[in-house]
Amino acid sequence: MSKKQFLGGKNSSAYIVFYSTVMVVIVAVMLAFTSLSLKEKQNANILDEKKNAIVASLGLEKGSYDANIEAYVVNNEGVKIETTNTPLDMLFDLAASYAAGEYPVFEDKNTGALVFPVTGKGLWDDIWGYIALENDLNTIKGVVFDHAGETPGLGAEIATPKYQAQFPGQTIYEGDQLVGIYVVKGGAQGAAHSVDAVTGGTKTSEGLQNMIIDCLGCYDNYIKAAKAAKEEVVLTENAE
Amino acid sequence: MKNKTFQSLTNPLAKNNPVLVQILGICSALAVTTQLKPALVMGLSVMAVCAFSNLVLSLLRNGIPDRIRIIVQLVVIAALVTIVNDILKAYVYDVSKQLSVYVGLIITNCIIMGRVEAFALSNKPLPSLLDGIGNGIGYGGVLVIIAFFRELLGSGTLFGYQIIPECFYEAGYVNNGLMLFPPSALIIVGIVIWVHRTANKDLQEK
Repeated sequence: MSKKQFLGGKNSSAYIVFYSTVMVVIVAVMLAFTSLSLKEKQNANILDEKKNAIVASLGLEKGSYDANIEAYVVNNEGVKIETTNTPLDMLFDLAASYAAGEYPVFEDKNTGALVFPVTGKGLWDDIWGYIALENDLNTIKGVVFDHAGETPGLGAEIATPKYQAQFPGQTIYEGDQLVGIYVVKGGAQGAAHSVDAVTGGTKTSEGLQNMIIDCLGCYDNYIKAAKAAKEEVVLTENAE
Repeated sequence: MKNKTFQSLTNPLAKNNPVLVQILGICSALAVTTQLKPALVMGLSVMAVCAFSNLVLSLLRNGIPDRIRIIVQLVVIAALVTIVNDILKAYVYDVSKQLSVYVGLIITNCIIMGRVEAFALSNKPLPSLLDGIGNGIGYGGVLVIIAFFRELLGSGTLFGYQIIPECFYEAGYVNNGLMLFPPSALIIVGIVIWVHRTANKDLQEK
């Protein structure tokens, strides 16, 4: 013992506790700093991705969101409302907006086609997507689905263009009744309002079916009002 | 001494390549090599993490308590990987989506902890940094070689640009679908190891 060692040397318990405490604090500060300084840029990327998914569901080109889309928010009764959050902001936590009774709608300014964002639960984590309807507000024009953590090759197949290609042309209304899309195990074989389930992805498929009917259900009143408005336009045009 | 320092950079490139000779990091080599771009980004990410974890832990080596040595290593590596992941998400978002979980899994890449444990903890910072860079390049280089063949034969493209001319397809040439699946990466790694060992006789066991 020639020299007194700090906290009793490298292998004393006091030193170990001191060492790990300091280390953890330094690392936490570093990570918090990087995360905060890059957050803005990351969110801009995520927003771009969401914008591109919306235009993709309409069959438009990447990056054409700003030129083509008008966004607004409707409530349960189907009336347009003013909100503090913009419709795009709502996409970052769609479930919370739904819970607050605020439903964003994205409209193609040129054709009047509507896109409804949807969100639900898959097997492991969130699934979400965008459903674009034709002008009759019944036939699906296109869909884009994505997921946070479904099993690759099984549930994750819902995010592939091949799977999503089943949706265009399907209808979501039976008369006046919203039925959504049935995700059928063993194959839809051309049945109305139905698509094939993902093989080996039963829970994800169930989640998808529930997501579509639950979320479109929130827009039911708005879709009916928009439909009535469109029919009125047709009637007045005919009268003229 | 100068020569020895320099060797810690060059050795892992061929004679002591982490993938080809030590057979480490094979798992991610299968997962991210269907296209060149993600393979290159993955290689660079691993290089950055390996270099900096070696450097940081070599600087700390005299103060680290032996009993929590592995924990300290993991904390440093995990912090570096988290930073790399954040940077990728901010600047190359589409590639980071393609790499998905494999960026996070760099933490468990045996090359990185292996180099820290075997080299950085018993060497000075400069050789440790060079060793990290060398191993990163050694790993990334193999990834790029595999991805080159997989993308060229599997999709007919390199970095997304069409390489195999349209007239080949019209004459009946078809892309090899197997190249897009993980087994093809194993086959290519096997062939590369074979070539590597044939060229370096001293690697062959008697």
